[in-house]
Amino acid sequence: MPDFEKGKAPSYVPPEDADGVAGIAGNDPFIMQGDGKGALYVPQGLIDGPMPTHYEPVESPFSNPLYGQQANPTRKEYDRDDNPMHPSPPQGHSEVFPFVFTTSRLTEHHTAGGMSRFVHRLAELQPEMFVEVSPELAHERGLEHGGWATIVTSRSAIEARVLVTERLTPLRVDGRVVHQVWLPYHWGEGGLVTGDSANDLFGITLDPNVLIQESKVGTCDVRPGRRPTGPELRALVAGYVDRSGSDHVPHGPIVTADPEGGGR
Amino acid sequence: MSSLFKENDLWGPLDPSAEAGYGEDRPKRKGFFTDTSICIGCKACEVACKEWNDVPADHFDMLGSSYDNSHSLNANQWRHVAFIEQPSSRGRATVDLGMPDVGPPGSGDGAGAYGAAASEDPDASPMDFRWLMSSDVCKHCTHAGCLDVCPTGALIRTEFGTVVVQDDVCNGCGYCVPACPYGVIERRKEPEGAKNVGIAQKCTLCYDRLDAGKVPACAQACPTQSIQFGDVEELRERANQRVERLHEAGVMDARLYGNDPDDGVGGTGAFFLLLDEPEVYGFPPDPVVPTRDLPHMFRQASRAAVTLAVGAAVVFLGRRR
Repeated sequence: MPDFEKGKAPSYVPPEDADGVAGIAGNDPFIMQGDGKGALYVPQGLIDGPMPTHYEPVESPFSNPLYGQQANPTRKEYDRDDNPMHPSPPQGHSEVFPFVFTTSRLTEHHTAGGMSRFVHRLAELQPEMFVEVSPELAHERGLEHGGWATIVTSRSAIEARVLVTERLTPLRVDGRVVHQVWLPYHWGEGGLVTGDSANDLFGITLDPNVLIQESKVGTCDVRPGRRPTGPELRALVAGYVDRSGSDHVPHGPIVTADPEGGGR
Repeated sequence: MSSLFKENDLWGPLDPSAEAGYGEDRPKRKGFFTDTSICIGCKACEVACKEWNDVPADHFDMLGSSYDNSHSLNANQWRHVAFIEQPSSRGRATVDLGMPDVGPPGSGDGAGAYGAAASEDPDASPMDFRWLMSSDVCKHCTHAGCLDVCPTGALIRTEFGTVVVQDDVCNGCGYCVPACPYGVIERRKEPEGAKNVGIAQKCTLCYDRLDAGKVPACAQACPTQSIQFGDVEELRERANQRVERLHEAGVMDARLYGNDPDDGVGGTGAFFLLLDEPEVYGFPPDPVVPTRDLPHMFRQASRAAVTLAVGAAVVFLGRRR
């Protein structure tokens, strides 16, 4: 990969026969490109290029405000019975999963916790799976700080201790209020500290270019109390699948914009 | 009444290692300046301390006090990171993200989190939500209550001016536990079979590392240099400059805690820069070493004893034959 020499002046013009690093002009600093030039259009490599735009996540409580096309039309989906996706506008029944959940990390654990949950020095710093909720959502759903909550999607339901915090705020979007909850994804079976895995909530939808799954954000429902186990767990999830219509395969049209409609 | 104690033995400014009898060739007094305004709450200090000193795991329960599951300093927790979530003084309103616009921030059609406040009262300076993080440790007081009351002499003053428990001398009586104004030192209760169960344990300011010319484990591990180790005199200078700079930048809440030699423990070797009242962080606002009142207590007791003796004498001598 070409680099950019520290002392190269912006006014440097490479001579005719220059090659390698010497062939890169002083005003071509984009070191991630072979010719040092940044580009908005790329000649190849992007299935959904060339310009960035806004698409809603595959599971979203809101319509895309910019286009009739709700989510990325080139995304890769797996239309299987065990991979039901939640309906998003313009489909109906998206109020069965009214909240948005996102997952990310804590400082104390490492990725899915497979190693850090076995290290006692780290395990004691963050010993339990928890969900962060705003005080408003806690009041609305009857969640107690330090108590338990069950988070449900059409794939599975998990339980987590409740952390009520003012760091989460209800958002006002498109004229209505939406609550979001936050989950760390470090827990699972095995280790000094165990707990339910946040990633059990996700289905698989992939970005078309590098096939990274959209496993950081989705819609969900939150209920107080611990989750059922065994057949009762499957019954709980099946009820949600039924009520939301998530079991329709294929799961909603990929292309939602009207091609004749000129935009919206 | 002439005192049994030299001046400032129990109270007031003092050079603790000089008072303990170390000679002129003793090293300068060492301590910590913990600047909590740059603490990121990573808990590297907790882990480094436990690893170096082989401190057993405390417990595996989520406490629900923000991201702090360690609760407080004790025999199995010699460094403790506190997390304090302070609500915004603006009150709770839903956040309207608004629609994106191409102009400068606030020109979009949504009010936004900060736009709303600005339009209501441009003169008020509302306090935003704050997440305070602070790494607590043994203060290594100039007048250390634990050291003063220890009946076995297990707690000693080192040549660095720090306070250290000799775990082979300590008999586990527990006198030091209520004597500490900060609630730092405790006897190790568990786990069974661990080293030093029953013995009083606390931060040693890594005495063994100082002897080897190294820096304490927590200060070494701290990635932001929130925990600064050095000569206490130089650290106090640095801390004063830091508070000045913060005040110049408009952070008027910044203050030092434990740096004043005239406070109730004679100033501490490990002192802090706080962004709010000490009570917010779980610190006592006006800590006083219990032995400050020792001369007064003995005087009262002597008066009571003399009164009792005189009373007994009067009773017996006035007895009729």
